[in-house]
Amino acid sequence: MTAPTPIPTNEDADLRSARRDRVFDAMAMVGLDVLVLGRRDSVAYATGARSLWTAGSRPFGPACVLVEAARSVHLLSTWDEGVPPEVPFEHLYGVTWNGAILAGALAAIPGLAAATRIGVEALSPGFERMAQRLAPAAELVPADDLMRAVRALKLPAEVARVRAAVAVAGVAIEAADAALAGGAGPAAARSAAWEAAAGRGVTVPTSGVDVGPADPAGGARFHVDAGFLVAGYEGGLGRTLPGSGDDAPLVAAQRRLIDACRPGATAADLRSALPGGSARWRVRGSGMGFETPVLSPTLGGGEVIEEHMVLSVEIELDGMRRRDLAAVGPGTTDVL
Amino acid sequence: MNGGVGQDLARLLAERRTEMAPIDAGRMCRQRHARLQAELARQGVEAALLLHGPNVAYATGEDVRGVDVSYATFERPVALVVAGEDRPHLLADRGDPTLDVERHPAAWPELDEGADDLARVLGEVVGTVAGRRVAVDEQTGAMLRAGVLDGADIADAAHLVGAAKLTKNDDELACIAEAQRRNEDAMAAVQGTARVGATRSQVAGAFLARLLELGVESNLIDPIFQPLPRTVTDGPRTTTETIAFPTGVGDPTFAHGDVVWVDSGIDHLGYASDFGRTWVVGRDPDAAERGLFERWCDVMVAVLEVLKPGATAGELCRAAEAANGGDRPWLPHFYLAHGVGVESAEMPLVGTDLGPEFDDRLIMAPGMVLVLEPVIWDDGVGGYRAEEIVAVTEDGWRHLGGGHPYPPFA
Repeated sequence: MTAPTPIPTNEDADLRSARRDRVFDAMAMVGLDVLVLGRRDSVAYATGARSLWTAGSRPFGPACVLVEAARSVHLLSTWDEGVPPEVPFEHLYGVTWNGAILAGALAAIPGLAAATRIGVEALSPGFERMAQRLAPAAELVPADDLMRAVRALKLPAEVARVRAAVAVAGVAIEAADAALAGGAGPAAARSAAWEAAAGRGVTVPTSGVDVGPADPAGGARFHVDAGFLVAGYEGGLGRTLPGSGDDAPLVAAQRRLIDACRPGATAADLRSALPGGSARWRVRGSGMGFETPVLSPTLGGGEVIEEHMVLSVEIELDGMRRRDLAAVGPGTTDVL
Repeated sequence: MNGGVGQDLARLLAERRTEMAPIDAGRMCRQRHARLQAELARQGVEAALLLHGPNVAYATGEDVRGVDVSYATFERPVALVVAGEDRPHLLADRGDPTLDVERHPAAWPELDEGADDLARVLGEVVGTVAGRRVAVDEQTGAMLRAGVLDGADIADAAHLVGAAKLTKNDDELACIAEAQRRNEDAMAAVQGTARVGATRSQVAGAFLARLLELGVESNLIDPIFQPLPRTVTDGPRTTTETIAFPTGVGDPTFAHGDVVWVDSGIDHLGYASDFGRTWVVGRDPDAAERGLFERWCDVMVAVLEVLKPGATAGELCRAAEAANGGDRPWLPHFYLAHGVGVESAEMPLVGTDLGPEFDDRLIMAPGMVLVLEPVIWDDGVGGYRAEEIVAVTEDGWRHLGGGHPYPPFA
């Protein structure tokens, strides 16, 4: 067994600071006084806070409030465990079921009541009513696109984290491969992949582990895909297993797609890299989970690939699948 | 004496653990659709546009995926329920092809191009929304930019779905019971791995692997195996000045004598389980810890004695307090009990910071589900916490789950 790749368990202050600055700089650039985030991954990006992982979507609510003038971070958390030291305890507001208590906590945030432009990651009818009372003069502005634009371009330290996360996905895929080679079925292969990731201290999925038959008629090959969240960043990898010598066209097609993911490329450029339409493919951002841009034969009309993006490059050809994460550099796009 | 009150509680739960009829998923979906239709009519809403995963699952039967919020958001299915129609609309590319829904291609409402697709489907199905009463649970930034609901009289779909799902039918109860039974089976299989020197992630990994072997498709929460300090001040600082739980942070290595609070939830056909127990690493509980467990059992029995249709949440809270010497036996940021269904915590919420007046107005009714989760804390000794799920019946309550005991306490 190979030595485990070290996993960074705590985010360093420099990375947190750099990400936070990017968010505040972007707010200043578009004239947002306040930004309200609801999703765990966005909150983690802007603050570095770690919290309990739960599956699925969350109804939108103010999980984090950023005030641009003071560059202050206010966080929904009942405790300081997982909260980085630069967020003072006084800036925490606890979990509540009571809208009046939540409104009171938000009203106490300096700069919120006088805000004229409040960015929101999404909007629920309940929060819209609350915001109108808390900041009567404020215009609510969708700011999901601001967060996506900031997150799409990775810092070098983020790429390093993705690389470490991909190593965990690789360990999971290897374990599934070994299980399948030993005659295990899909459930046992998934089980082996999860235990292998847990052996590296990782128990939180992004997409999780999928193992499905590659031949619907019931063959001996399986599509295996693993996506895990490792110290806040996503590692993802997909293969059709067990591997054999017949995947050269698939590998070559994925290579063409990866090479097409160069700065300035559009969805049309990616489509023309795979002529004939025989391959199914998707290219989308990856970082602290599923991110933008999303490009496919039908999506991403207005998107442009940029340097510093990390992309999940997914392709299916001749009944086989392959997925890798790749970092877009100035001249080459490198598989992580 | 050893485990006496624990055995009394186990017997009480076993007496109320009745056999359940096989789950009929189609019937369950039809009944939920009827409930949503009744709420649309009662609340005067013409159509409900649902984006939040559990709401979509409730309306359509669409699978719950145990994926991260970012996947659940970008790849989200969308449901549209129109007053007077006999089945819901589902915008999704994956999932169960046998669902009784009107299918539409997946929209990508997080993306600007996807919001346009969503607006088009809305227009085809509902017509113009301007001036119409339309419920929505969440609007994405792209939907706001595209003005998908501009001019509509917007209602909060959380109230609509919340009212529909407040009480459960027998199929829903059977789903919760099955989820809980599987969750208990997986925990029973891995409790022995929580030994001195093991890490949380190793125990969690064994649990997650066992779930898959039991046929569980989706895990809903990073399983919690949190060693607790004996005093509040030795733990993280909290806004409530009580114990911090569940933090879900870090990967502790278990030491001899650790008291570990365990909490997990899995999915079965869209319904969540909620497993809670207190484990002790490498030794038996001491007398003081057994005392905490016995008081926890006393609180459970006291609450179950008053639980029946017509009882108020306030009465449940007061029974719990009385059995705990007048102190509130639950975490102040949570509750004495919460509902469970397509969400891991939903109404009825009992003993929250919504306040005593709210609790006194909240009346138990048949089909309501309660996850009872009292916490007994004695600062200096530590705490005991466990959870049991019950459903209110016509004449009292029934236990949902397999009857997992309380090792190493009973």
